[in-house]
Amino acid sequence: MRTAIAALAVVFSGCTADIVSPSTPPPGSSGRVRSELTAWSSGARRLSRLEYDNALRDLVGETTRPAWNMLPEDTYTPFDNDYTTQNPSAALVDGADSIADAVIASALADPSRRPLIVPCAASGPDDSTCFRAFVASFGLKVLRRPLASDEIDRFAALQSYSVEAGDFDFGVALAAGALLEHPEFLYRLELAGSGPLSDYEIASRLSFLIWGSIPDQALFTDAAAGMLATADGRRAAATRMLADPRALQRWSQFHAFWLGYFTLPHSQQLNDAMHAESQALVQDVVFSRGADYREMFTSPRTFIDNVLADQYGLAEPGSAQWVSYDGTQRLGILSHGSVLSAFAKFTDTSPTQRGIFIRTRLLCGVVPPPPSNVATDAPPSAGTGSPCKVDRYAEHRSNPVCAGCHNQLDPLGFGLERYDQAGQYRTTDDGLPQCTITGDGETPELGAFNGPGELGTKLAESGRLEACVTKQLYRFAIGREDTGTDDANLAELTARFNEDGRRFTDLLLELVSSDAFAHAPSQGG
Amino acid sequence: MTMFRAPLSRRTLLRGAGVAIGLPMLEAMIPTRARAQSASPQRYVVMFGGHSLGCDGTTNAFAPNAVGPGYDLSPALTPLGDLSVQNDVSVISGLKVPWAGGGAVPAGGRPNDFHVNASGPLLCGVRASGALTCNGPTSDQLVAAAIAGSTTFKSLVFRAQPVHYAPFDFPGVEAGFMSYQANPAGGAPLGIQPVVSPQAAFNSLFSGITTGLTPDQIARKNLLLRGKVSVLDLVGGETQRLVPKLGVADQLRISRHLDEIRELERRISAMPPAVAGSCQKPTDPGMDPPVGADDTDTNNDQRLEFPGTAGTSNEDLRARVFCDLITMAFACDQSRVASLMLTEFASAMNVQPFAGFAADVHFVSHGRDGLGGTVELNGKVVSWHVKQFAYLVSRLKATPDGAGTLLDNSALVYVCEGGWGTDATGGTPGSHSTENMGALIAGRAGGLKPGKHVAGAGRHPGQVIASAMNAVGVPGNLGEVQGNIPELFT
Repeated sequence: MRTAIAALAVVFSGCTADIVSPSTPPPGSSGRVRSELTAWSSGARRLSRLEYDNALRDLVGETTRPAWNMLPEDTYTPFDNDYTTQNPSAALVDGADSIADAVIASALADPSRRPLIVPCAASGPDDSTCFRAFVASFGLKVLRRPLASDEIDRFAALQSYSVEAGDFDFGVALAAGALLEHPEFLYRLELAGSGPLSDYEIASRLSFLIWGSIPDQALFTDAAAGMLATADGRRAAATRMLADPRALQRWSQFHAFWLGYFTLPHSQQLNDAMHAESQALVQDVVFSRGADYREMFTSPRTFIDNVLADQYGLAEPGSAQWVSYDGTQRLGILSHGSVLSAFAKFTDTSPTQRGIFIRTRLLCGVVPPPPSNVATDAPPSAGTGSPCKVDRYAEHRSNPVCAGCHNQLDPLGFGLERYDQAGQYRTTDDGLPQCTITGDGETPELGAFNGPGELGTKLAESGRLEACVTKQLYRFAIGREDTGTDDANLAELTARFNEDGRRFTDLLLELVSSDAFAHAPSQGG
Repeated sequence: MTMFRAPLSRRTLLRGAGVAIGLPMLEAMIPTRARAQSASPQRYVVMFGGHSLGCDGTTNAFAPNAVGPGYDLSPALTPLGDLSVQNDVSVISGLKVPWAGGGAVPAGGRPNDFHVNASGPLLCGVRASGALTCNGPTSDQLVAAAIAGSTTFKSLVFRAQPVHYAPFDFPGVEAGFMSYQANPAGGAPLGIQPVVSPQAAFNSLFSGITTGLTPDQIARKNLLLRGKVSVLDLVGGETQRLVPKLGVADQLRISRHLDEIRELERRISAMPPAVAGSCQKPTDPGMDPPVGADDTDTNNDQRLEFPGTAGTSNEDLRARVFCDLITMAFACDQSRVASLMLTEFASAMNVQPFAGFAADVHFVSHGRDGLGGTVELNGKVVSWHVKQFAYLVSRLKATPDGAGTLLDNSALVYVCEGGWGTDATGGTPGSHSTENMGALIAGRAGGLKPGKHVAGAGRHPGQVIASAMNAVGVPGNLGEVQGNIPELFT
């Protein structure tokens, strides 16, 4: 039986035990001996909706985003690719069936796209040479490995329908559909068990990590040549891939999932402007300049259009371009409307939710879920006291049941309070000019701060950002939460990140060029 | 007695001599039930909306003032009048899911935290335990087990709101689940992933119908159907080859995937509905409205990095198509049971398209915070949900079935996440709670006598659901909740 006293104990013990973020790993020192990464356990990874649509785009030029529109939504952890949350369902299998039929029919009917499926001119419905060539070449791209000849036989048997229909493409559509419903298309299945992955499994690891899509021809060629089994080969391939626009798309999405702004609640015009701003910073820091990653959080300029300039109180630049943050206290991505829009509640900011954001996303700490006999939904309301938000929250925290966690969350969130849920600057509560917002916040790890610019600066200077971004990247890469068995890998990658100039793409290259990237763990791993 | 005779499936014929293709329906192919003159099957629908009924703690836009027949239509209930179904729908107000307060969670009740405990007590009648799930099977699955018979789709599980929109706020796919089935392996019931694509639902229900096609087109379609079965045979076989090569955890998941492929193959192989009388092929809904794109968005296809995320996906159209598909699935006896989730628990769907104000459903339920006029606004949100229910009622009412209409042989129930008024969660004015909950029930199956307003007087919404279950011939209670609402039958 649950009682209020028991709840109190849960709150206090949960928060005091778990809520503090992990301590900083020791900074890298020159001459440190690097240790090898250990192969991590993995599982059947179903393509996320985004990956599925990317794959269809790269396979047959499909751009209508059918998986995004027809399949059940992915679970966000905050990333969309955690395989431990992926359960098969009739909705998934039926949806994949509908998508396969529609996508193949549309591509075969389009003379400019048909050659992406059928690489040859068939002499007639019974041209088995051309049909087998189609199965082999399209099958390679869809299943992301060469097909064995008995496998080609089984798919090629569907050519009997071409003959019966008197139409070569009739059987092609069936066989191509079968490939798109094959579990080795829908899932990334690594069959090695333990030990080295196959060359093609490595190719898929690379392409899905860096592009969120299938390998291209060059990567298949590398795989066929055995290049991807070597660290240098993987590094070279990844370096080439990072220059492709698909990499920018993928890692912009990574940041949007991590920092909570993939979904934004505004008009599409404002949403687009906010996404463009944050993507421009990723492009600048990570890709164009290969700068110290901490600049993501300290950049003194930003890429905005008139819509966002109005939002931020900056001079309208005419067309979207880089402008200085001068005259404001904004710096870096935490000052973007995108990040400031995330974690809002009730069309106002929620200092509690923003506290959770800082605690879990920026410091990679843990906040235990509230006990179920504490109501968490309602925001602190105006009781008999002051209408000001800061006072209402303080009153809330005077309730001992709430205080345990909220004392450790709200003071963080109030440090962003001068920026509203759409990133606009303010100094008083909305509609309550008597309620001054100080914008003062504090975390035990970073100390006092005022505003997102200063929070970003302190985070960048704290030595904590490196471990946290490494952890987020690692989770996204391996498709699950890290566990204790991943700690050594995280520490090693963080140390290298610190030692090598904190270039984000170097972190990716370190990961892909590790032996672990090309291996399944030994049994039981 | 012919009731145990297995009808010839169309696949049997198709696998036999090709000459059978295009022949008129053989009597032996028509299932026994379709020839029975007297007993139309019973149909069951449970619909859900993730909204509350009030937002300022003291007033609501839902409950009529008068009790009994000829009740007055509150602002939220006006769609019942607009669609001329008021006499086909009963309104039950004053319902309540009991809560723990400071003590143990009562039977059919919830711990104090409202949202995470909302699903189980409401939809399966079993007390919640701090997670948004059901600790027992939901009514649609209980009913399907009893009345689905040999229908191709044992139950339809649909959701109009396709995505969560604000994943940081209320995480977990369970916010989008309203149907749970008993776990054959024991343990907690399994949530059923709803179909969110009207296009996919249409394809799986009705793409096999050949009415209106030329003989050539029919021949080609039949060939395609055979081809699809071969494809799924092939994919199933390839999957089976893979399973032994996988680790234990993956074996389980991929085996489940294989089960679903086999299920799909079974459904595709099943005889398509015989188009006659009320059973007609519905209009192909075409491509689904873009997910997350508001009405002003003309750029969704070009937006590669961040596809539409504006908080609406034309749910109005999606709900209407799902209601059309349910109606025709019933008329064609493709299925007899459906659940339709209009909006998710604590729904983050933007109400702008129908309420003229940019805010999400959940927020509107909290309306008192700096908004003003919120009872009216929340009334619009409730009304939008009621409209979808009323639309389905009107469709069933307009569809002949046996000697009457589909509505005469159906029981439909609508429940929503929250009521209005203060509850145990304390000092807040109770912007939403499980006090003063409401439900709608429609249809005349099993002696239901709709068209009245019943004061619930603290009874459990699960009793309304049980009334609908009882009406379609499934006796007993919903989970731990005892009894039904007798006034609904008198």
